[in-house]
Amino acid sequence: MNLEQAQADLILQSLHLIQKLRNGVGQVFKDLSDGISEYVEELPEKEDSEGNKDKSSSQNQKESTGSSHEKSEEQHEKHRTILKTLKKSLETISHDFSDLEKTGANIGPVQMFSNIDNLSLDPVDKNTVTHSQLLQSYKWTNKMHELANQAVSILSQNTLKRTQSPKFTNPKRQKGNLLAACLANPAAIDQLVTQLNQNNPDAKFSLSRPLGSCGVMQIELGRTLRAIVVLRGLTIEWVKVKGYDETFKTDDGQMDLWSGSRYQVFQKITHHAEAASLHYYAPLMPEIAIKSFVLWLRGFSNLFSAPCQKCGKYLQNNMPPTWRDYRSREAFHDVCRM
Amino acid sequence: MGVSCVYTYPVPEGRSGSQVVDVLHKQIETMGGTKMGNFHVDCENYQSVMLNPAKTLQILHSSEYPASCFAILDSGITLVADTLFDGLMSNLKNYYQARKQNKMEFKGQRFQLADFVIKIGSVSLAGSFKGILVEVEYCPSVVASECWNLLKELLHSLIGNIAESPPPSLKVKMDETYTPAMTMAQYLDHFNNFRKAAAMSQPPR
Repeated sequence: MNLEQAQADLILQSLHLIQKLRNGVGQVFKDLSDGISEYVEELPEKEDSEGNKDKSSSQNQKESTGSSHEKSEEQHEKHRTILKTLKKSLETISHDFSDLEKTGANIGPVQMFSNIDNLSLDPVDKNTVTHSQLLQSYKWTNKMHELANQAVSILSQNTLKRTQSPKFTNPKRQKGNLLAACLANPAAIDQLVTQLNQNNPDAKFSLSRPLGSCGVMQIELGRTLRAIVVLRGLTIEWVKVKGYDETFKTDDGQMDLWSGSRYQVFQKITHHAEAASLHYYAPLMPEIAIKSFVLWLRGFSNLFSAPCQKCGKYLQNNMPPTWRDYRSREAFHDVCRM
Repeated sequence: MGVSCVYTYPVPEGRSGSQVVDVLHKQIETMGGTKMGNFHVDCENYQSVMLNPAKTLQILHSSEYPASCFAILDSGITLVADTLFDGLMSNLKNYYQARKQNKMEFKGQRFQLADFVIKIGSVSLAGSFKGILVEVEYCPSVVASECWNLLKELLHSLIGNIAESPPPSLKVKMDETYTPAMTMAQYLDHFNNFRKAAAMSQPPR
């Protein structure tokens, strides 16, 4: 630690010295440019004065040559002072330089933190962008880590927990809830579907079990949309929404749970439905949760015919109002719901 | 497949059809639409030989439904068949004869704007320009009455007041599940209007 501190001090010192050296060199160049410019200015003045004196009488010529001699003396004097200052500054520079050399010799090799620092030293890789890109990705990873930490702290305050990780939830409480919601009797699910069919005349519900114990509920809402809801017990696991003219079957007749709709409207609604399945999550009352989700989904029966409650228009960004309020089921555009 | 509305777009005097089409293209592009290739609709006119009074049969093909052909009688009865139906028609030469001078074509560019498909093109009768048609299709919906207001809003921003009410042939079927044949019926209405206008302007021989 002490060694590191000493190294850092040395580097700082040498940096100061470099600064000093640069300052000195700058001064030299400044002096040089000043000196030359003075010398240049003198010359035309001298010529000018000589020219004037040519015009006047020849008697004065001797005097004038005398005065020019004096002037050249002056110039020589100036020259000498310039040279003197130049020499002085050069001496300071050489002094500073030797100082820097001495300090530099004391600095040990910089400790490499990783292979990446070696990469930056490789002259062959100078032209490639690998190093800078790696640094950039390190920055991003750090940033992501920071944000993830913040997200954990926010999520741990949230009461709507579905993840079983002990980091997010109190495992004791979760266990009891999961048992009630996830291990529902298949007969209870069948009963729920028949109940839904009776209570919602505008929609058709059908249940199948292509994946074994998990129930897959298909909902056909009027002539507007079709939705698929994968249930784990009585918990909603997966939601997909498609258009009325689309199908949830693959070419070979298998059930297709994964592919999205080809229409932007239903892709958007799928996102909203996924959010809603989290919103209506109630592990203690799973049936009510599904019923309220279905009620919310039925709000889309007027998807193409209801104007936005906020802006009063049908289209926004060429899309109909794709959002339904969780409480009132009023139609809003995605951008109008704030 | 979705609900389509087809409208005639008037060509102001002193301007050519392609100029007007260009203006409409630019307008769609400023609305955010992207070009998605070309489209082509044609309508062949057949006339019965033996029946009196003569009956006409129109056969339409659309690049949107490349495997189908739509045969429509005067009464509005529509038959949707495979394109092989064309071969059958050539075998029925003795009963129905094609009238080449009455063949109509509607060609142009196809645009995609979110879930809307917009087609703008020029109609030609036996090769000569007759007018401009604009078709707007809203793909996700299958019931015209549900999405009419939505379509109207888009049509208003595109072609203005021309689209004040649904096309007449669609108006009576607003609550039915939409089929491609309904689009063809709309095309045929416009084609017939263009033909009539052409016949009126031609001096009687």
